[in-house]
Amino acid sequence: MSHVVSPIRETLVGGGRSYHDVTQDICKQVEGEPTKEWKIAFSVSCVIFAYGAYCLGYTWWQGIGVWGLNKTVGWAWDITNFVWWVGIGHAGTLISAVLLLFRQKWRTSINRAAEAMTIFAVLCAASFILAHMGRPWLAHWALPLPNTFGSIWVNFNSPLVWDVFAISTYLSVSLVFWYLGLIPDLATIRDRAQTKASKFWYGLFSVGWTGSAKTWARYEYVSLILAGISTPLVLSVHTIVSMDFATSVIPGWHTTIFPPYFVAGAIFSGFAMVQTLLLITRVAFKLEDYITMEHIEMMNIIITVTGSIVGIAYLTEFFIAWYSGVEYESYCFINRAFGPYWWAYWMMMTCNVISPQLFWFKSIRTNILISFILSVVVNVGMWFERFVIIVSSLHRDYIPSSWAMFSPTMYDIGDYIFSFGLFFTLFFLFAKFLPVINMAEVKAVMKGVSSNYPYKKKSEGGKESVTH
Amino acid sequence: MAGHSHFSPANVEEFYEFTPEARKRVITAMIIGAVLLGIGVFFLGSGEHEAAHAVAGHAAEHGGEHLSGGAVSHHETSWNPLNRLWVNLWMNGVFFSGIAVIGMFFVAVQYLAKAGWSSVVKRIPEAFPKFLYFTFPVLLLLFVFKGDVIFHWMHHGITDPASEHYDKIIAGKKGYLNFTFFLVRLVAIFTVWIVLWNMMRKKSIEEDLNGGTQNFFDMVRIGTGFVVAMGISSSLSAWDWVMSIDTHWFSTMFGWYMFSSWHVTGLATITLTVLFLKDKGYMQYVSDSHLHDLGKFMFAFSIFWTYVWFAQFLLIYYANMPEETIYFLERWEGHNKVYKAVEILNVFMNFFFPFLIMMTRDAKRTPIFLKICCFFVIVGHYLDFYQMIMPGTVGPHGGFGLVEFGSVILFASAFVYVVSTELTKASLVAKNHPFLEESLHHDI
Amino acid sequence: MNTTEKYLVGVYDDEDEVLHAVTEVKGKGVKIEEVYTPFPIHGLDTAIGHPRTRIPIAAFLFGLTGLTCAQFLINYTMVFDWPMIIGGKDFFALPDWIPVTFEGTVLFTAFGMVFTFFVSNSLWPGKTPKTFDLRSTDDKFIMTINMGTNKKSEAEIEEILKASGAIEVNVKQF
Repeated sequence: MSHVVSPIRETLVGGGRSYHDVTQDICKQVEGEPTKEWKIAFSVSCVIFAYGAYCLGYTWWQGIGVWGLNKTVGWAWDITNFVWWVGIGHAGTLISAVLLLFRQKWRTSINRAAEAMTIFAVLCAASFILAHMGRPWLAHWALPLPNTFGSIWVNFNSPLVWDVFAISTYLSVSLVFWYLGLIPDLATIRDRAQTKASKFWYGLFSVGWTGSAKTWARYEYVSLILAGISTPLVLSVHTIVSMDFATSVIPGWHTTIFPPYFVAGAIFSGFAMVQTLLLITRVAFKLEDYITMEHIEMMNIIITVTGSIVGIAYLTEFFIAWYSGVEYESYCFINRAFGPYWWAYWMMMTCNVISPQLFWFKSIRTNILISFILSVVVNVGMWFERFVIIVSSLHRDYIPSSWAMFSPTMYDIGDYIFSFGLFFTLFFLFAKFLPVINMAEVKAVMKGVSSNYPYKKKSEGGKESVTH
Repeated sequence: MAGHSHFSPANVEEFYEFTPEARKRVITAMIIGAVLLGIGVFFLGSGEHEAAHAVAGHAAEHGGEHLSGGAVSHHETSWNPLNRLWVNLWMNGVFFSGIAVIGMFFVAVQYLAKAGWSSVVKRIPEAFPKFLYFTFPVLLLLFVFKGDVIFHWMHHGITDPASEHYDKIIAGKKGYLNFTFFLVRLVAIFTVWIVLWNMMRKKSIEEDLNGGTQNFFDMVRIGTGFVVAMGISSSLSAWDWVMSIDTHWFSTMFGWYMFSSWHVTGLATITLTVLFLKDKGYMQYVSDSHLHDLGKFMFAFSIFWTYVWFAQFLLIYYANMPEETIYFLERWEGHNKVYKAVEILNVFMNFFFPFLIMMTRDAKRTPIFLKICCFFVIVGHYLDFYQMIMPGTVGPHGGFGLVEFGSVILFASAFVYVVSTELTKASLVAKNHPFLEESLHHDI
Repeated sequence: MNTTEKYLVGVYDDEDEVLHAVTEVKGKGVKIEEVYTPFPIHGLDTAIGHPRTRIPIAAFLFGLTGLTCAQFLINYTMVFDWPMIIGGKDFFALPDWIPVTFEGTVLFTAFGMVFTFFVSNSLWPGKTPKTFDLRSTDDKFIMTINMGTNKKSEAEIEEILKASGAIEVNVKQF
């Protein structure tokens, strides 16, 4: 890639960093003793994890009867959590894949953490699939395995089976993508390692990486192709999740816009979660020179764009429900907005559609505290979106005598807490033991975007000779 | 990295010349289109009249009547062969409005995303929206004078409970589908597009004269405004101009589906124009890397169109609800199967061909492959619009004849004429674009 | 092994310089074995003269395999082994199978390609790398010249490397 960079571009690596400084700044976290703040945060998440694990264990032991489901609302809080986590798990691969294909250089500082977050979020989502199975020790029967009970196979015409394939493919391919990106950085840590243990562990996982030109050339091809296939993969995952609902004939669920609308919502919530985590990491690890205001602003712009797309989808659904002239469809949407779950609906509307519009003001999208608050607000809204779609479409079915409301039990809530414990425990482990920023990628784009390498001017003939 | 030194700021301006010879060729094409159209209309008026009736009767026997769900079933007895002309003009008007407006959309997105690579080609799409000046009156006049030929909901008495043509479902949509409101939306959509484009174009030309970065930031703002406007107007135009033809039918995806079809056609037209100008000796600074990126865009958005098409199809197929599946059934086996071939071609030309042709890196950098792909994409999406619009309007009277060929040649050559004229009005390269240097050094 | 390989190692501290140096050193008739860098440099492999990688072809073939396997499995289970009418559709319900077929294709492509990548670069967990300079994963760009494959003398090559911008020239033996 050329280093010619327009002078109107913002600096992406501040503080006059050199390549060596980058190595130093990022490896510092990995090599040093854990800080007190990290220990406290990690302990807290372990406690949350332990409490959540108790609730999940109880759910498994007793069965999913401990949830607050009833005869009308047969799917509620926990499937909401599943969709919510899968949605969040979209941003990482999106940042690394789509932004790589579009050559957005600002992605380099954030893609590592975003990909890690993706994997953890998908694991959380997977925990809800297992929880829904009731007997998670029989989970392998979701796969098409030959068996001794006759020719019993999974039903490939079922969206739930598509989901099994989509989630497992997405999880494993994301893991591969993430690991591949880690290898050069692991080699950097290996080459700097002082202790025997880190020499061994980072040596083991860096697979003998040397960074030869031949390897890099292949590596770049592999990354590009992985990005190329991961992009439709990301789309397919939430598309298939949306089809869990949309292939049915339930008013409010069966609508053709669901696939791209779910994907837009997933990107929206995923970017918001990345924003939340990066703003914390930025402060905790003092990475202000890598995660700059430009990064925060770009993230906020994407949040606004995707939030608006989601808003258009809400309005489209509402409009077509009326336009269709189907009375059940129309009722479903009126019930969402003005029925007993009106508060969930307006919570969703406020958090997802209205609040991101605040980012139209530059002063707001460059304000770190407000960005942080809004990024959390967005994910609250996205949780409510799924809740609204799922519960409000189910709670009043065709027979008014069976109309019901849903109220969660402590195990609904406890299982949700479990996923937070799992997520943050894994994220803190990642932040301590692995480089949170992709050093190789940051170094590769530094010329031109770093305050220290403002596109060096060379005087010798034959070398780069463009001036500004 | 090195090797672009031949392009020094001294020879930075480059003007396209629309030579009298080229002008003559385009006008000849226009005349040929008009003549074919004329002959086609003549034959529609005489020979096909009875044949069409025979076909219609046949289709009705085999369920064509209830499958159509559109205008024809209600008008079987009063079918006017000239309707096919009006419908063709409407279809081409919608299709080419899309290509024109995507030019603006492309530029707007590049500004919004602060994309550097595309600044060498941005003057090409920037010229496209000029064609809206041509399609706007075409669509406006067709709607005002021939709207009832195109739109089922405009048929006389259809929302009047006292009339024998009364249709309860359509009457329910009266609040949205009525003459005045539709007209307001049509005018508003085109006005917004044209006004924002004019603002953008003015800033763009000012930048050539004055330099500086103020115009750039203004264009980012205008572009952002346009993207917001497009977010709404793309869905509105799809519902109004195309989806309301099959008035009973509805699909929430339709707005994005039609937009994705427009979008990829626009990208193919941009690529084809750049390649054409390069062949003519212009724009030699457009390198393999730029072509590669244009090719990638076409490749990616062909897949995106397929995704949207397939998602819509799968959900309707899976849920199997009669009021939805009729749309595909009508096209697949209704109207005596006139549209079946187009349905198959639609997926092949718009997915398999671009997907297989544009898969390798070398293909995206080779002009001939790009041209083949552009050809497939443009013709394929013409067919996509054909199958969206024809079954609900002309139904069993549809087909591929001189009217179709004549009208598309007429529109295409008018498009070439208008865009070529617009291209001469500014340098082919935006010489003061802040990202021009980046773009000239673009190397992937 | 009893044979020792002797290398001259040129150390550079700028990516544009090393890229330029590769052309210059090669132009003077010195055979470069490899260049080690902390991050990918566009065009470096072609400058050294490495052949273009065929990994995309491998990826395509893996994808094709994935597609075939997925279609085979679904057809076998849903049409031949135990056909059932589901949702009133044909046994051969192709639209319903597109999602799983797609996932299978992606899965095979990704894993096959990455596996090929590891094998073709002979990378495996726990492998001890042949390191010429530990700083090549930090901030230095390392050019290695295998003395066994070059006819020029050590002093000559050192001169050429220095002239091309190397900040250090070291000798390394394996």
